[in-house]
Amino acid sequence: MTEILTVKKLSIKVVICLSVLAVVMCICTLSGTQKISLMKVIDGPGQKPGDNIDYEIFIGYRLPRVVLAVLVGAALACSGVVLQAILRNPLADPYILGISSGAGLGAIIAIISGITWNFWAGSPLAIFAFAGSLITVWLVWSIGHFAGRSQVTSLLLAGVVVNAFFSAVIMFLTSIAKSEQLRSIIYWLMGNITDKSSPVLLACSVCIIAGIICLFSISNKLNIITLGEYEAKGLGVDTEKTKILAFIVTAFITSIAVSLSGLIGFVGLIVPHAVRLVFGPDHRQLLPLSAIIGGIFLVIADTIARTIFGQEQLPVGVITAIAGGPFFLILLARYTKKVSWLK
Amino acid sequence: MSDIIEVKNLSFGYKQKSILKDLSLEVKQGIFVGIVGPNGVGKTTLLNLLCGLLEPKAGSIKIDAVDIKSFSVRELAQKIAVVRQEFVPVFDFTVTQTVSMARTPYLGTFGFMDKTDRQIVNEALKATDTTQFGSRALGSLSGGERQRVFIARALAQKTPILLLDEPTNFLDLKHQVNIYDLLKAAQHEQGKTIIAVTHDINLAAQYCDEILFLASESSYRYGCTKDVLSVEQIKNVFDINIFSGKVDKEYFFIPLGKFAKDSGKANQIQDKS
Repeated sequence: MTEILTVKKLSIKVVICLSVLAVVMCICTLSGTQKISLMKVIDGPGQKPGDNIDYEIFIGYRLPRVVLAVLVGAALACSGVVLQAILRNPLADPYILGISSGAGLGAIIAIISGITWNFWAGSPLAIFAFAGSLITVWLVWSIGHFAGRSQVTSLLLAGVVVNAFFSAVIMFLTSIAKSEQLRSIIYWLMGNITDKSSPVLLACSVCIIAGIICLFSISNKLNIITLGEYEAKGLGVDTEKTKILAFIVTAFITSIAVSLSGLIGFVGLIVPHAVRLVFGPDHRQLLPLSAIIGGIFLVIADTIARTIFGQEQLPVGVITAIAGGPFFLILLARYTKKVSWLK
Repeated sequence: MSDIIEVKNLSFGYKQKSILKDLSLEVKQGIFVGIVGPNGVGKTTLLNLLCGLLEPKAGSIKIDAVDIKSFSVRELAQKIAVVRQEFVPVFDFTVTQTVSMARTPYLGTFGFMDKTDRQIVNEALKATDTTQFGSRALGSLSGGERQRVFIARALAQKTPILLLDEPTNFLDLKHQVNIYDLLKAAQHEQGKTIIAVTHDINLAAQYCDEILFLASESSYRYGCTKDVLSVEQIKNVFDINIFSGKVDKEYFFIPLGKFAKDSGKANQIQDKS
């Protein structure tokens, strides 16, 4: 990355990645346990329901699921990028501020209490998870802010402690849960992409895309914030405003992603690092590319999760961790070879 | 020449501890000021006050006759560039990327540079002799090289004022002199006002036009280098024995410890202690 980033170079890379995403989405939508053909899908819905099963599977079942996977992957990867930058910590991921445990607690409360009411087509589980994660982020933020001078450290500590505490509560609730509730709890905790109604999907897409655009608009400031608070201010960046905006937006899009799909690990940590290794640390490029590649990664992982064992579906979180870990290690070895002892 | 920085009755402290008290000075445009004094006397604090990072408890700081509080962060970054000590990069930005960040206060939201900006960056790299590192990661450079990169960044920021916190810390003799030469050239060629905190009294004596000698919380001296850096002053403030000599027109100072060999003879100005 010797050269300086220009609008042209950035646009070319984004367009290439978007085309890859489109191709991957297309392939993944067409593949599944039920074979469907592209030609029949193009034919359209037909006269009455049931005339063209392929089309109905494509539009009604596969496409929403693929779109959902892309959204969740993009949101998690972007949040990872932003949190690593503002916390100046390469180990940060979207769950570090307690989002995961908060959402988990909310979801488990919803499952155990057996609430069945629906709010605007959203399941109580999703809504509880969403509320839980936002409340926890707020809690972590206030503790971290209240605790002391070195803001970043106290924020990280508050996140770790709150995470640990809520995890304990989650384990307690899991241990007293009835066995038929247990399966849905575990599936949720492992991350699971399932079908969502289209109004919910539409609303969430709008929110997540808006969030990503908002984060992209501060991407240059994020570059400078990684140098540290004082350095950033010396270069004319209003760090307080930028950080608060970044926190609110990441908390929001991660909460949406988590409430849609449960706790999908690894995407938020590994995708930003992989993109950084290949394309360099400039956030103006890192952020959009991570979003797109996060989407690609999760779509592929989800397709594997729903096809590998025929009718039986795996939680996608299992695939992301099993596939993502070794893949990342290979990248790490390959790109650090030049400069380190690995020679 | 007009005063570019005007400090009036400045006081500052952290919680219970008062650090600076009733400090006033006027810095003329285009001069090189050294800030010297013992550890913990508030040199870095003063630097942070001057660049607007800290707010004074009392008194005021004016830049170009305008109160520092009335500048936005961005406007201030167009007036003052700061080079700090001890910097640990978290992510592997290259040298060129790092220096390019200096242009941020002049650029739009996304910070894409045009031809002029790139030229300024290249000139700064050239001036600091860091062009050959351009594509290397900041973390892979030695301390001296990295320090030059940060000075390049400060130059590329194109500010009338340059503040430095111990710019030659941890550097070998050659690099110490190189960096001060570089700063002096920037002062002469670009008319920059330079304020550097330093522990190196000899380099300060050689390069600085004026010295601010912070002795304690409330006592300080500000003036022409020759007047302020006197043997008596150094001896009193640091509470050590010192030998002073002269080579051509340059004064130098050597601290002498208890175990200095034959220190009686060496000390031209002997002290009872």
